[in-house]
Amino acid sequence: MIAPFWRSRLRLLFALAMTGIFAGPLYLALVNVFKPADSIRAHPLALPTDFTTKNVVDAAHLSLVQTGLKTSLIITTCTVLLMVPLAAMVAYYISRWDTKVARGLLLFFLLGLMLPPQIVLIPTTVILRHLHLMFTYWGVILNFAAYFLPFGVFVFSGFLRTISRELDEAGAIDGASSFKVFWRIIFPLMRPATASVVIVTALWTWNDFLAPLIILGAASGVTITTGIYIAIGTYSVNYGQEFGVMFLASLPILAFFLLLQRHFVSGLTGGATKG
Amino acid sequence: MTGMAEIDTTPIGRSAASPSGRSSRSRRRNPNLRFWTVPSFATPSLVLYVGLVFLPLVLAVGYSVTDKNLLAAHTHFVGVGNYQSLLHDGVFKQSLRVSAIMAVLIVVLPNALGLGVALMLSGEGRIYAVMRTVFFVPMVLAAVVVSFIWQAMLTDDGVLNSVLRTLGLGSLQQGWLDTPNHAIGAVAAVVTWQFLGFCAVIYLASLKAIPTELIEAAQVDGCTGFRRFRRITWPLVAPAVTINTVLLFITAFKLFDYVKVITNGGPGGATNTLALNIYTVGYTQNDFGLASAEAVVLFAIVASVSSLAVILLRRRETTA
Repeated sequence: MIAPFWRSRLRLLFALAMTGIFAGPLYLALVNVFKPADSIRAHPLALPTDFTTKNVVDAAHLSLVQTGLKTSLIITTCTVLLMVPLAAMVAYYISRWDTKVARGLLLFFLLGLMLPPQIVLIPTTVILRHLHLMFTYWGVILNFAAYFLPFGVFVFSGFLRTISRELDEAGAIDGASSFKVFWRIIFPLMRPATASVVIVTALWTWNDFLAPLIILGAASGVTITTGIYIAIGTYSVNYGQEFGVMFLASLPILAFFLLLQRHFVSGLTGGATKG
Repeated sequence: MTGMAEIDTTPIGRSAASPSGRSSRSRRRNPNLRFWTVPSFATPSLVLYVGLVFLPLVLAVGYSVTDKNLLAAHTHFVGVGNYQSLLHDGVFKQSLRVSAIMAVLIVVLPNALGLGVALMLSGEGRIYAVMRTVFFVPMVLAAVVVSFIWQAMLTDDGVLNSVLRTLGLGSLQQGWLDTPNHAIGAVAAVVTWQFLGFCAVIYLASLKAIPTELIEAAQVDGCTGFRRFRRITWPLVAPAVTINTVLLFITAFKLFDYVKVITNGGPGGATNTLALNIYTVGYTQNDFGLASAEAVVLFAIVASVSSLAVILLRRRETTA
């Protein structure tokens, strides 16, 4: 028998070793941002002894990266601003207007949770073409807002069950309209759910590759993911720039994650585990 | 969640629904939701959802029985013609096989390793919290970024081979993306790396819900080590297994970004997943009819296998 003290030490050492191995690719992606291209090839795993910010500066000058970051920021912001209030409102209607129709509506929305994007994208492009929204920001935004709407409805309608109806009724007795009751009383109370929905939707929108690849098309601008793909895949930038580009593309979302870590984890896992 | 009986029988997905959801049905309707409020609250979402999700779903089924092609002026009804030609379509059949192999690898690997990581990182204290964060970081990175990082590792003159050389294991060097088996394994490894932390977090949440009295009682009865894992931990994390399995399965069948970036379906179609093939048929061959038929097959597989998995695993949860 090993003494408990040593057992916990051994366990910690083992966990640290495993975490170290797991973090290998992250370490690689980070150190090579700050090394000249030729020393990336020669010593990919070494610490940056000849520290340089050239890769990041070069990457920031690429027009694909500049447009990509700008476009992704616009599309992510608009998708969240459009989808979150819509999802919250319809979830409020579903949870409060407690009829067969409302319950059917919930199931109808939840159907969207298990649709692979591939099945809806082809007809979506046809519809967007008829609306003259193909190859535009709005085409991508509307597609994302519609596709992520079921997730929002799912989280909000689950959370609304925990908010007492007496609050609505009190508001109604005081003569407030249902819009007022919703926006002034209920919506502020849903903040934890709103945080989850905003974070997860923003993350999915920022990181998505397929929809902007098809709807936006390379000719009318790129998001950061399609930008990276074109920059690295097609123009084959040098190794140093490649790491610079990936660093710039991930920096916003990583900073966001490290600031709001708790919300990220509960949002991403909560979306999967509870309503 | 207080008693063990509750944890035993309540699937995670249901726990939040409990008291208010049911009893409220008998209550009167909310008085301040007057008739006109219904359209104003539900219509915008419905228009958006029907227009860009439900209508496309219906249209996809419709296109799948036509020869709709972006480049052709006219579209004709072809009945089950597209589905029939899929039966003899070597590329499609290979992509189906690739997706099935990916599904097995991607359901098993992150699930098994994720449980291991969860047990390993369930310790108290700051250092364990930091390690849990490290495992979660890949989850927030774009699949495209993750794919490029790994591509830099896996190419012939990449990091993995040079590390093997430095360690004196030069004989293990491989063209990691050159042969079909290696390429499939490599892509599955990348997906595993990205989803490991997510699975671990789901497992950690259900491990935390195991009451300590139960563990102590087991200890008193002399049930420790593997037996304790087999008899107590494993049955109680069953809901987490359900969730991870279904999510990983869907992820595996939707697999697009990774294969597009790392291998572009190669070598020789060895990593050409169903999702990637739909993209190729639809957008490089412009054959919307055939691509839609493939998409309908994809949807049918995802929908039926995930509902089946939920039913089977739920049953196991309650009998375990």
